[in-house]
Amino acid sequence: MEFDTVIKALPFLLEGLGITLYVSAMGTLGGSVIGIIICVLRWTRVPVLVWLAAVYISYFRGVPLLVQLLLFYNFLPYAGIDLSPLVAAICALGMVGGAYIAEILRGALAAIPKGQVEAGLALGFAPLSIWQRLLLPQMLRLSMPAITNELIMLVKASSLVSVVGLAEITRVSQTFAASTYRPMEFYLAAGAFYLITNLVLSFCSSLLERKLARK
Amino acid sequence: MSDFLVSIANVHKSYGDFEVLKNVSLDVQRSEVICLIGPSGSGKSTLLRCINFLETYDKGTITIGGKIIGYQDTGGKRKLMVARELREMRQSIGMVFQQFNLWPHMTAVENVAEPLLRVQKMNATDAHSKALRMLERVGLAQKADNYPAALSGGQQQRVAIARALSMDPALMLFDEPTSALDPELVGEVLQVMRDLANEGMTMVVVTHEMGFAGKAADKVAFLDGGCIVQFGTPQQVLKESEEPRLQQFLRSYHARNDF
Amino acid sequence: MEFATFISYTPAILHGLWITLASWIIASVGGVLLGLGIALLQRSSSLTVRMAVRAYVDALRCLPLLVMIFIVYAGGPSIGLMLDPLSAGILVLIVHGSAYFAEIFRGGFSAVPKGQIEAAHSLAMTPFAILRRVTLPGALTAAAPALINMIINVCKETALLSIITVADLTFEVQKMAIETFASFESILTLALGYWLLIEIFSRLGQRAERHINQHLNMKRSA
Repeated sequence: MEFDTVIKALPFLLEGLGITLYVSAMGTLGGSVIGIIICVLRWTRVPVLVWLAAVYISYFRGVPLLVQLLLFYNFLPYAGIDLSPLVAAICALGMVGGAYIAEILRGALAAIPKGQVEAGLALGFAPLSIWQRLLLPQMLRLSMPAITNELIMLVKASSLVSVVGLAEITRVSQTFAASTYRPMEFYLAAGAFYLITNLVLSFCSSLLERKLARK
Repeated sequence: MSDFLVSIANVHKSYGDFEVLKNVSLDVQRSEVICLIGPSGSGKSTLLRCINFLETYDKGTITIGGKIIGYQDTGGKRKLMVARELREMRQSIGMVFQQFNLWPHMTAVENVAEPLLRVQKMNATDAHSKALRMLERVGLAQKADNYPAALSGGQQQRVAIARALSMDPALMLFDEPTSALDPELVGEVLQVMRDLANEGMTMVVVTHEMGFAGKAADKVAFLDGGCIVQFGTPQQVLKESEEPRLQQFLRSYHARNDF
Repeated sequence: MEFATFISYTPAILHGLWITLASWIIASVGGVLLGLGIALLQRSSSLTVRMAVRAYVDALRCLPLLVMIFIVYAGGPSIGLMLDPLSAGILVLIVHGSAYFAEIFRGGFSAVPKGQIEAAHSLAMTPFAILRRVTLPGALTAAAPALINMIINVCKETALLSIITVADLTFEVQKMAIETFASFESILTLALGYWLLIEIFSRLGQRAERHINQHLNMKRSA
């Protein structure tokens, strides 16, 4: 095996890694927003909204990510929406991330004693203030390690976006593997990049968990 | 009728088939301190929580300062009160919980200032200084920047009392305020409550502290099985009553407190 | 859009479904068995073995499944590993899954109350007997929900095999989508099909979980 070609292609690979990280981070951010919205929907206890939340989670956790991506990328031209592959990737990852983060936040919400909400109600807090000042700050703090794990999951999931053409690191490796006839070297390189990225993120997640346990 | 700050009239409440409050009536005058005592399951906490409508009630009326709480005054069909009105009414009722319910991600002074900022829309400087004054009132000004986790149970409960007082309520409700405290911390909280009573605060207290009921209360109500079985002055209820259920209830206290 | 043309694809799609289900079952069984073996290895007294297992599990959980599939299928020939798409795919699914199953079993093992094991020791049971009669049953019951969840995940992972030309459900529906020019409708049906499949198995899984919990509680009270 010869890794010379890989080293020559390094700038392109790193650019691909950059796209991978960007898309995954943005997806996690978007997913967090969606996750919060779904949590609030479930909290309202209005039957239609609770049902909507349940259907959303069921779909995005039930359908294979590859099929979700294929459907999303076929839906856009069908509905006449024009998005760049990058933005489309972020939307797709954000939507699936949102379903998983919603479940994470559900656990965090359940960990907050109901009495704290009652104290807010007894003091005359409006529901918006209760969410903004009492629930969300605690929920986000409690779910930080799990959301970091979700980021790791999205980094891995982003490799699938190569299938619909975004030039993240797996796609870049594919292109070079095909043109240089060195698939093993390039795919191993891609693997190494994913490995290092996720090991670092994993380490951060355990650090966060330990910090939380102490407080 | 307008003498009474709180007027509970013929209130019923059921959880499914189980009737937890059976035709309860009670009136509280301004500056009166009323203690609700009774065995677990007697409905005393439920009754207290109905006063600020943390629990709904099925029949009867509860009026605070002449206004019905929880439901619109339509005379005919029962309609839930508009959320905004309920919140406004709750601003004049302070509640202290058994589990303190302080918010763990805020310091003591931030806990006390939060309702001033969010509900009364005070500006930050005024809210902070009023919060500090409230903490001084309960003797905890030096703990202002501590998080609840760093405070003892008694200190946390006193911060909770300061938080409820910061809204300048006309009425204070206490739901077993000392039941979750280690015995040696109970005294500091009862002292704050006694001081409040001496300042003329109208208080309704659910408690197992018979000493407090005997010395600080103007009236005591004994509940059992969802009804007020005995109501009167502490002397009448705790010393002179011949009601057998009450006597049995008080016997367990005497047995525990005689060494 | 002639309805008849779509009907004509039915045999191919059913065959694709069969491939998906078969891959799922083989990958799950293989992954569970390999994962269990690795989890048992992790209880070894040798530090080297434990560290090797830790490295294996951590590395595999950091790699995307797609990249692993490419390494084995596209990269394999250059080191003499010539596998057909289906074998390569199932092999990767098994190895990839084994890391997750190993972690699940590890969690199951640590959930067994130490007291039960101490009791077995004080009764002079052999280590093998303790493993067989106390540790494993306890670990399996504790790990059951996570196991069921992961097995359902493996079903979703089989869709990736379509990328290396395995004729599974996704592959056949995509073929139909391209040939009939009804891309959106075809893929939509595919998505709904998977949704239904996964939802059914999730419900079955929940029922199985409840059954196991009842079984566990009965054992405890006895």
